[in-house]
Amino acid sequence: MLLPKFELHEPVSIEDALELKQSHGTDARLMAGGTDVLVLLKKKVIFTDTIISLLQIKELSQITQTNDTVIIGTCATMAQLSASPVIQEKFSAIKTACQSLGSHLIRNRATIGGNCCNASPAGDTIPALMIYDAKVMIESADNKRELPIKDFFKGPGKTDLTPNEILTGFKLPIPPANSGAHYIQLGKRQSSEINVVNVGSFLEYDPDTKKVLNTRIALGSVAATPIRAEKAENLLKGKPAEESSFYDAGEAARKEDCKPIDDFRGSAAYRQAMIGVLTKRTLQAAFEQAK
Amino acid sequence: MKKIISLTINDQAYEIAVESNKTLADMLRYDLDLTGTKKGCDTGDCGACTVILNGDAVNSCLVLAVQTDGAVIETIEGLATDQGLHPIQEAFVEKGAIQCGFCSPGMIMSTKNLLDKNPNPTEQEIRKGISGNLCRCTGYQKIFEAIDSQKP
Repeated sequence: MLLPKFELHEPVSIEDALELKQSHGTDARLMAGGTDVLVLLKKKVIFTDTIISLLQIKELSQITQTNDTVIIGTCATMAQLSASPVIQEKFSAIKTACQSLGSHLIRNRATIGGNCCNASPAGDTIPALMIYDAKVMIESADNKRELPIKDFFKGPGKTDLTPNEILTGFKLPIPPANSGAHYIQLGKRQSSEINVVNVGSFLEYDPDTKKVLNTRIALGSVAATPIRAEKAENLLKGKPAEESSFYDAGEAARKEDCKPIDDFRGSAAYRQAMIGVLTKRTLQAAFEQAK
Repeated sequence: MKKIISLTINDQAYEIAVESNKTLADMLRYDLDLTGTKKGCDTGDCGACTVILNGDAVNSCLVLAVQTDGAVIETIEGLATDQGLHPIQEAFVEKGAIQCGFCSPGMIMSTKNLLDKNPNPTEQEIRKGISGNLCRCTGYQKIFEAIDSQKP
C-alpha cells in the first residue's frame, strides 16, 4: 500500500508546531507515533497534504512529577509509560492499559496522545486516564486550556480540539493513600486486538469505616465514546467496600450506564454482560490494591 | 520533495535521499535492496517487517523513512557474519522453526530484541515477545522451542 504524497513538517518546539497548525488549520494532520495515522492514510480513510510530526519536540515525550501532580507528555509511548517508575507505582491501571494496546512492536511507537486523539470508543488508555481524573492540556498559538478528559470525546474519531489546537499532555493528580485502581480489557486474543469491552475502576476507601469514599468507573467500547459509569459510581459511594457492593455497582453499570451495539466483535448483550463482570472484577482488584 | 538522511544500518553508514511518504520498510527493500525485511499486511498487524530501531523492535511499515535520520537500525541481514549464521538463526534451523519462511525475518528480529533486553525470559515472556509476529503456517510451538533453547 502506498502512502499518498504529503509535506512533512517536523517542528522542534511547541511554539513552532502551534504556528504551523494555525497556518494550516484543518488541512494539516498532526502525527506522533504514526501507528494510526499512517494506517488510515494507507487505507485512504483520511486524506491530507500536510503532516505535522510532534516527535522532534523533546518536552512532549516527558513524564514529569511535582508534589501532587504528574504530567504525561502527549508523545510518551506505551513502552515508555509501562516502564516509568512513577506510572508503575502511582498509576498502575495506566501501566496495564499501555501494556494492553496493540503488540510490543506497536507499543514502541504508539503514543498516549495519539491514542486519545484517535478517539476510538475502544481506545485502551482512555478509561485508564478517566479513572485517575486526568485533565487534557490543550494549546493553540494564542490560548491554553485544560479540560476534564471525560469531556474531551465527542464521538468516534471526534474530539473537542479545534483546528488550531494541539493536545500537549495530560495532568493527573497523584492518587490519595488508601486508593487503588485496575484496568481490564477483553478481546478475542491477547495481542494486537481491538477491545470487545474495556473497563477501568478507581476506588478510595476509609480504613476506619471500611466504606467507599470515592470511586470512578470508566467503560470502553459500549458507547460512541469511552464513558464514565456515573450511576454505578453514585451507587457505590458510601457503601461498604466489599464484594456485594462491587457486584451491585457492576449491575448498575451493566443495566443503566452502558449502551453497547452489536457488531462483528461482539453482540450488545455479550458486551453488556461483560461490563457487569469486569466492573466488579476491576473494583475488587482496585480494593485489594487500596488495602 | 526528497530529504537527505544519514543513518546506520547493520553497522554500516548510509546517506540517502528519500521522499517524505516512503516508509522505512520500502526504503530498506526498494532503495537499499535489503529485501530480507518482508512486507505482509503493511498496516502493523503481522510483524513481517520487524526491524530494530534504536534498540526497540518496530513495524518498519509504520515508520517514515525520513524520520530515521540519525537512527541505528538492525535488520535480518545484519545477523549472520563470515563465521556463519547468528545463534538465533541456527536455533530456528535446528528446531525446524521455519515452514514457508515469510515470517522468519520478523520473528527472528523480535526474538533478538527480546533476548537483548531479557536474556532469560519465562515462557510467558517469550510468547508475549513474539505476539506481534504472525505465522500463518502455525509454527509457533517450534518457534517457541527455538527461542527457549537460547536461554543460558
